[in-house]
Amino acid sequence: MIDRSKAPSPFKNIPFQIPEVRQLKLSNGIETNFVRKEKLPIVFAEVIVFSGSKFDPLDKRGLCYLTSLSIDEGAAEYDALQLSEEFEKLGTVFSVGANHDTITLSVLSLKENFERSLELLSKIIIEPRFAEKEFAREKKKVLDRILQLKDEPSFIASSAFEKRVFGNTYYSFPEIGYESTVSAITNNDVKNFYISTFTASNAKIVVVGNLREDETTELFNKNLSSWNTDSENKALFETPKRCDTKFYFVHKKNSAQSEIRIGHISKKRNAEDFIAARIMNTILGGQFSSRLNLNLRENKGFTYGAGSSFQYYKDAGLFEVATAVDIENSGAAISEILKELRVIRENISSKEIEFAKSYLTKQFPSRFETYSQVAKNIESLILHSVPFDELFNYTQLIESAANDEVQAAAMNNIFPDEMIIVATGDREKIFDQLKNVSGKEPVELDMNGNLFT
Amino acid sequence: MTNNLLKIDYEKYSLSNGLQVILYPDHSVPVVAVNLWYRVGSANEKFGKTGFAHLFEHMMFQGSQNVPKEGHFRYIQEAGGSLNGSTSIDRTNYFETVPANYIELALWLESDRMGFLLPGLTHKKLDNQKDVVMNERRQRYENQPYGLAWEKLFSNLFSPDHPYSWPTIGWMEDIAKFELDDVRNFFKTYYTPNNAALVVGGNFENKKTKEFIEKYFGNIPKGNSIPNIDAPSQKLIECKKIIHEDNVQLPRIYLGWHTEKAFDENDAALDILSDILTQSKNSRLHKLLIFDKQIAQDVSSFQYSAKLSGSFIIASTAKPGITLAELKEEITSEIKRLINDGISKDELTRAKNNVKSSFIYSLQKMELITDQINHYNFYLNEPDSFLFDLSRYEKVTAEQVAAAAKKYLLNNYVELNIIPKTKR
Repeated sequence: MIDRSKAPSPFKNIPFQIPEVRQLKLSNGIETNFVRKEKLPIVFAEVIVFSGSKFDPLDKRGLCYLTSLSIDEGAAEYDALQLSEEFEKLGTVFSVGANHDTITLSVLSLKENFERSLELLSKIIIEPRFAEKEFAREKKKVLDRILQLKDEPSFIASSAFEKRVFGNTYYSFPEIGYESTVSAITNNDVKNFYISTFTASNAKIVVVGNLREDETTELFNKNLSSWNTDSENKALFETPKRCDTKFYFVHKKNSAQSEIRIGHISKKRNAEDFIAARIMNTILGGQFSSRLNLNLRENKGFTYGAGSSFQYYKDAGLFEVATAVDIENSGAAISEILKELRVIRENISSKEIEFAKSYLTKQFPSRFETYSQVAKNIESLILHSVPFDELFNYTQLIESAANDEVQAAAMNNIFPDEMIIVATGDREKIFDQLKNVSGKEPVELDMNGNLFT
Repeated sequence: MTNNLLKIDYEKYSLSNGLQVILYPDHSVPVVAVNLWYRVGSANEKFGKTGFAHLFEHMMFQGSQNVPKEGHFRYIQEAGGSLNGSTSIDRTNYFETVPANYIELALWLESDRMGFLLPGLTHKKLDNQKDVVMNERRQRYENQPYGLAWEKLFSNLFSPDHPYSWPTIGWMEDIAKFELDDVRNFFKTYYTPNNAALVVGGNFENKKTKEFIEKYFGNIPKGNSIPNIDAPSQKLIECKKIIHEDNVQLPRIYLGWHTEKAFDENDAALDILSDILTQSKNSRLHKLLIFDKQIAQDVSSFQYSAKLSGSFIIASTAKPGITLAELKEEITSEIKRLINDGISKDELTRAKNNVKSSFIYSLQKMELITDQINHYNFYLNEPDSFLFDLSRYEKVTAEQVAAAAKKYLLNNYVELNIIPKTKR
């Protein structure tokens, strides 16, 4: 008989080589990061333009998002459908995404079709048509989508929470905008947004693929050298202050669950204790075996899952606990979360820290499996101006964090008495529960996270 | 080039207890993926006991004789691995990807719950996971706009005695009723080595890995043969229309037809038909409804094919002020046009090119490759079927696509309307 009672030990570690990131010299000076990855005949390339929705005018929230939807609706000699057809012929996946800080355009293509894919991508970036007809259709689509979002509890909870955390700053609204502000956007606004923000000096490139360095440089020079290099744009951010814990709710009649968000503003990505805070959050709510998930899911059965995260914007950070719980336990779930947020500040065991370090360091190689994963790792460093050294020293940085640094990261990043708490659910069923936990009447918010006046 | 990439060099054998093993070494990656399929899904459930295959999957993460509750996750995560499981109508899979030097850990964990789950079972664990699954049902279906559409559609497309008529997550009242004996019986009936296939892919040595597999799985006793599934043949005698009020702003229509099961004669042609109808901006229904007429917010379709049967589904959300009747009229006219006039060479080529590149893109992650190997082993009894599968699409002709549409989409169908709740 074999002895099954003990977990088998690992055998010798297989060393992992982090791929080398090369800087390509492009004629127009765009920062271009290149990783040669040979296994498959695939290329992933993305152009990151620092033209996020934080540049939206107050009365035209949603402008960046609508620009990102309009930009591939026809470019150069192709109208919207022809352009899509050209990508389809190649089997290339083109996508465009907008967030508060950037618009990112990318292609995933077979190596044999990359040259043509890049040519099409460049046409979208340099020569978008912005035809009135396409704009009108995309704008209507956004307005109807905003209408649909009124029934998505998870979206409502997140955007109300972010509104309360970020106050009147430019991270406080959803990228998609509001009905009133999107209605006010014209095709000229889109064109002007494009002209003022979409410049080569405001962009960075990441390429991961089965290509040679010289051929990659040549291809990008050929296709993007005519992109204009006007100076970059700036937006000013004033970090909002944290305030005493406050309970809010958004009424959603007939909800089958309550969506809960708890958190506050926090440090930026380049904070000194970033690594310690990541280890701490891994223990608190960053993975399945975390305190929050084990308590709320595996012990209490309140939810399908609970977690916490630090989210990093270019100019701010956000700490957030998110979960969806059954209605009857809405108050109890919030109490348990607040309890965990206090307890983590009091004691983190060395066993927990060892577990978190092991998890973070050993999973590191698997973050380089797909072509786009490699690119996304690099993209996030670029966004926050973090030197690439962090990538190469990551394992060592994690391992060298001392236990008291991890404990201090809880003290210096989690503030249980300064939490913003938002629940989305049926008023009749959750109001009293929230009141019991808080000792005060919770404040009702509208769908956009605004106070009723 | 595509041919070389998609040819999988594997070794397949069985242990004496009937466990199928497929080894796919690839020394270019730093990981090993372990992927285990049990040939049991919600189609093996009985009326009144729906959702059990899925709840059972949750119980497989609650520990076993030598693994404490939450231990399975903890061991794999501490090793830097990722893991999960999923339940479909036909099968349940469990998978972990670990750094290659942790291969033995993953095999030990999978073998412990295959052989020794019941000693770790308690009432408390079952009650806890019933709560978790009921919250999963609320979060993923009941509290989502249009979230109940699939179960409404399939419970009308299939007769109540057909096991595809209920949702994998199960009906709430059934989930609430499960007892420990249900877990014990299900385990003894379906979680036997002779009802499972183990795929190991990645950076490992065959010889040593075979020894580990024999060591950990070899002495798990073989079970009885697996009960057959009763699945009465399905035909809609007439069209059905179901109207469901939900927390939505815009009404959505779903149309569903019976078609063919996975890997049957027209399965690939129906996939391509779906691409041509809704896959891209240029696809027929997208262009018609969203670009030209602007009467729909979205449109999607697919050939949903499984072991016992298949169905073709089209779904589309109406713009404000547009009725579902208008939307339906346009959809059915376009289908008739396609059947009468056929599809162009160009449409077919584009669809095929996208299928081909998606095959290559899918080779990036060992977790997905091993799952696909198990998929082929399950449906075709041949793990190395990537090229065969791709060739099914390459062989499809324009005539076959129109003929498949004609054969199935002119038959009786189920129409589901999800509409906004009437204000009171």
